[in-house]
Amino acid sequence: MSGMRDLLRLALGAVFGHRLRSALSMLGIAIGIASVILLTSIGEGTRRYMVAQFTQFGTNLMSVTPGKAKTSGIPGVFGGTTRKLTIEDAQSLARLPGVEDVVPVAFGTARTEANGRGRSIFIYGVTPNVPRAWKFAVRQGSFWPAGDPQRGAAVAVLGPKAKRELFGAANALGRFVRIAGSRFRVIGVMSPKGQFLGFDIDDAAYVPVASALRLFNLPELNEIDVVYAHAGVSGRVERDIRRLLAARHGSEDFTVTTQAAMLAVFDNVMNVVTMAVGAIAGISLLVGAIGILTMMWIAVGERTAEIGLARAIGATRAQVHLLFLAEAAALSTAGGALGVLSGLGIAALLRLAVPGLPVHTPLVFVATAVAVSLATGLLSGVLPARRAAALDPIAALRTE
Amino acid sequence: MTPLDFLRFAFGALSGHRLRTVLSLVGMAIGVAAVVTLTALGEGARRYVIDQFASIGTNLLIVVPGKSETTGIPGVGAAAHELTLQDAQTIARQVPEAEKVAPLVVGTEAVAYGPRRRQVAVVGATHEFLEVRKLVLSRGEFLPAGEMTRGRPVAVIGQTVARELFPGEEALGQVVRIGGWRMRVIGVLAHPGTQLGMDVDDLAIVPVATGMRLFDRRSLFRLMVEVHATAELAPAKAKVVKLLKERHGEEDVTVLTQDAVVATFSQILGVLTLAVGAIAGISLAVAGIGIMNVMLVSVAERTREVGLLRAVGVGRRQVLAVFLTEAALLSAAGGFCGLALGWSAVRLMVRLYPALPASPPLWAVLAALGLALADGILFGLLPARRAARLDPVLALASR
Repeated sequence: MSGMRDLLRLALGAVFGHRLRSALSMLGIAIGIASVILLTSIGEGTRRYMVAQFTQFGTNLMSVTPGKAKTSGIPGVFGGTTRKLTIEDAQSLARLPGVEDVVPVAFGTARTEANGRGRSIFIYGVTPNVPRAWKFAVRQGSFWPAGDPQRGAAVAVLGPKAKRELFGAANALGRFVRIAGSRFRVIGVMSPKGQFLGFDIDDAAYVPVASALRLFNLPELNEIDVVYAHAGVSGRVERDIRRLLAARHGSEDFTVTTQAAMLAVFDNVMNVVTMAVGAIAGISLLVGAIGILTMMWIAVGERTAEIGLARAIGATRAQVHLLFLAEAAALSTAGGALGVLSGLGIAALLRLAVPGLPVHTPLVFVATAVAVSLATGLLSGVLPARRAAALDPIAALRTE
Repeated sequence: MTPLDFLRFAFGALSGHRLRTVLSLVGMAIGVAAVVTLTALGEGARRYVIDQFASIGTNLLIVVPGKSETTGIPGVGAAAHELTLQDAQTIARQVPEAEKVAPLVVGTEAVAYGPRRRQVAVVGATHEFLEVRKLVLSRGEFLPAGEMTRGRPVAVIGQTVARELFPGEEALGQVVRIGGWRMRVIGVLAHPGTQLGMDVDDLAIVPVATGMRLFDRRSLFRLMVEVHATAELAPAKAKVVKLLKERHGEEDVTVLTQDAVVATFSQILGVLTLAVGAIAGISLAVAGIGIMNVMLVSVAERTREVGLLRAVGVGRRQVLAVFLTEAALLSAAGGFCGLALGWSAVRLMVRLYPALPASPPLWAVLAALGLALADGILFGLLPARRAARLDPVLALASR
C-alpha cells in the first residue's frame, strides 16, 4: 500500500462503495458552493454593470460642485455659497494645462411644450462641446456654434425620447418648443444613450448654459465638468483646479470629485456587499462540511476491522491518516465541482429568464470555489482520519 | 406501540451514537441560528430607520420644487417656477389642515469668529422649524416667531460649531460672520446626534429671509407642512397641490408625505431581510441532507433490529413512524439549539450596538423552527421508508 495511485484507488473505492451516502455528502457541499458562486456572480455582475453606467460618460472626468461638503451628504445638492460658481470660473479652468474640455452645467426640470403636447423633462444648460465631453452623439442637426457662453441663444437640442414624445415621427428640426414659457428653436436631436442609474437621459433637452441660468433664475452653475487628457495628469489637474478656484473665490468653497475616486469608493462598497452575501451563503458550506465530518466519523467506525487488517500487514499510521483525508477530500472536491457546474447552470438559466440581470462569474471565483471545497474536505477529514490513525491494530482487528 | 414508546426508542437510538447525533444537531443549529440572527439584523435596521423618521414626526408633507415625469428623484436641480416665501404664506393662510409651515433654504458657507472659520451647512428656516424637526435647544433661544419674509441678523448654531469657534468661551451673544454677513448668536442647539443623515451638530440656522438673501436664492429648497393628524395628510396634500398650481399656472411641485417615504424604506428593508434570511435558509436544506445521511446509516446499522420488530408483529407504518420520530427529534432539537444560539448572538449584538434595535421578527423564528422540523421529517422520509420496506426474514438473517 504505497504510492498516490493506491491511495486514490482506495479512497475512490470507499466513496463508490456507499453510493447514496457519498452522493448526499457531495450534494451538501454542492449546494453550498453553488449558492456562493451564484450570489457572488450576481454581485460581481452588478458591480460591473454600475461601473459601466458610470464610465459611459468617459473616465477622465472631474466635476466641480459649489459648496464644501465637510460633514455629510452629497456635495452640490445643497449648493449655495456666497461666492458663486460662474461661467467665468469654467472659462478660467479651460486654460489650465492638461484640461481638454470644460462644460459649465446648470440644470432643472421644466414643462416643455410643442405640437400641443407637453411634458416635464430635465433641461441641461451646457456648452456645445458637450457631445465630446460626455461621449454623446448627435443624430440630426447639430449643437449651436461655439461662441461666448455668456450669451444664450434661444436654441435647443432634444434628447431622442423628448423629441419622440413631443413630435412623434415628424421632423423636429427648425420647429419651436416652449420651455417654461420661453420659445426655443430645435436645432438638433441626440442619439439614444439610454439610462443612467434609472435616470432616462434621453428624455431631456439641452440649451445654452446662459439660457438655462436665465430660465431657472439660477444665481450660479450646478456643476462644472472637466475632461482631462489622460489619467497621468489627473492629480495635477485636480490640484490646479483647487488652487485656481480657491484664488478666485477667496476660499475653498467648492468640491472637486474625480470619476476615478467615485468609482473606487463604489467598487469598495460593492465588494463588501458581494463578500457579505457570499459569506452568508458560505454558512451552508460550513453545514455541508459538518455533514462530511459526520459521515467520515461513521465510516471510520464501520471500517475498524479493515483498518486493523491494513495496519497488521504493514500500513503505517501516516498512511491510514492520509487514506481517510483523501476520501474526505475526494468527496468534497467532487461536490465542489458539481456545485460550480450547477451554479454556472443556474446563472445561465437566470440570464435567459431575466435578460436584464447582470451576472458575471470570473474564473477566479470558480478556481477559489474548487480550492475552498478541497480545503473544506481536508479540514472536515482531519478528526476522523486522526481517529482512524490512532486505532490500536490488535484491538481493531478483534472488533466483531 | 404508544407514542411514548416511539419517543423512547428514538431517544435511545440517538443517545447511543452521541457524537454523530451532536454533529447532526450542530448542522441544523447553525442553519437556524443564521436565519434568526440575520433576520434580526434586517429587522433591526428597518426599525432603526422607522424610528428615525418617527422622531421628526409622521404628519409631515414635504413640498419640493420641480416635477419630472420620468426621473425618480425630485428636487434635483432647479424648477422654472420658484417655490417662494409667498407660496408658504399662502399655504399657511389658506390650507386649514396646515398646523405649521416651515420653509427651508440650505447652503454651505463658512462661519467665522475672529481668526477661526468653519465650513458648515447653513439652513434658512423659521421659528416653526424647531418643532417640526423636533430639535432641542441647549441654551439661548431659537429664531423668533413673526413674519417669515422679515430677515434678522441672528443665528442659532450647533454644538460642534459652538465648540470649534468658541473653545472655552460662551457663544451666546457673540457676533459671527457668515459669508460676509454679521450675525449674532442667539441660541445653541442641544446634541441630538445625527438625524436622518443630517448632522445637526455641525450647522447654523438663520432666518429664512436672511438665508435667501445670503445665498441669493428666490426659490425655497423645501417647504415642510405639518398637519394635525395623519388622516389630514391626503386632503392637505390635494389642497397644497391645487393652490400651488393656481399660483404657478401649472403643477410644478412634488409633494411627498412622510408616510410614503417611510413605507418605501420599510418595504425595501423588509424585502432585503427576507432575501438574506432565505440565503441563510439554504444552509437548512444542507443540514437536512446531513440528517438524511445519518438516518440512512442508522437504518442500515439497525437492519436486524427492524427485522426483529417486524417479526414480533410491529407493522410497516409503525417502523416508518419510529424512524420519522427519530429524524424529527433530531431536527427539532437542532432547531431549538439554533434558536438559543441565534438569540444569544442577537443579545450580544444589542449589547455591542445599543442603537440598533435588533430582534428577530416572530415570523422568522417560527419559520426557522417550522422549516427545521419539516426539513428533518422530509429528509427522514427516505431512510424511514427504506426501513419500513425491509423484508422481516431477510432483515433478521442479515449480519
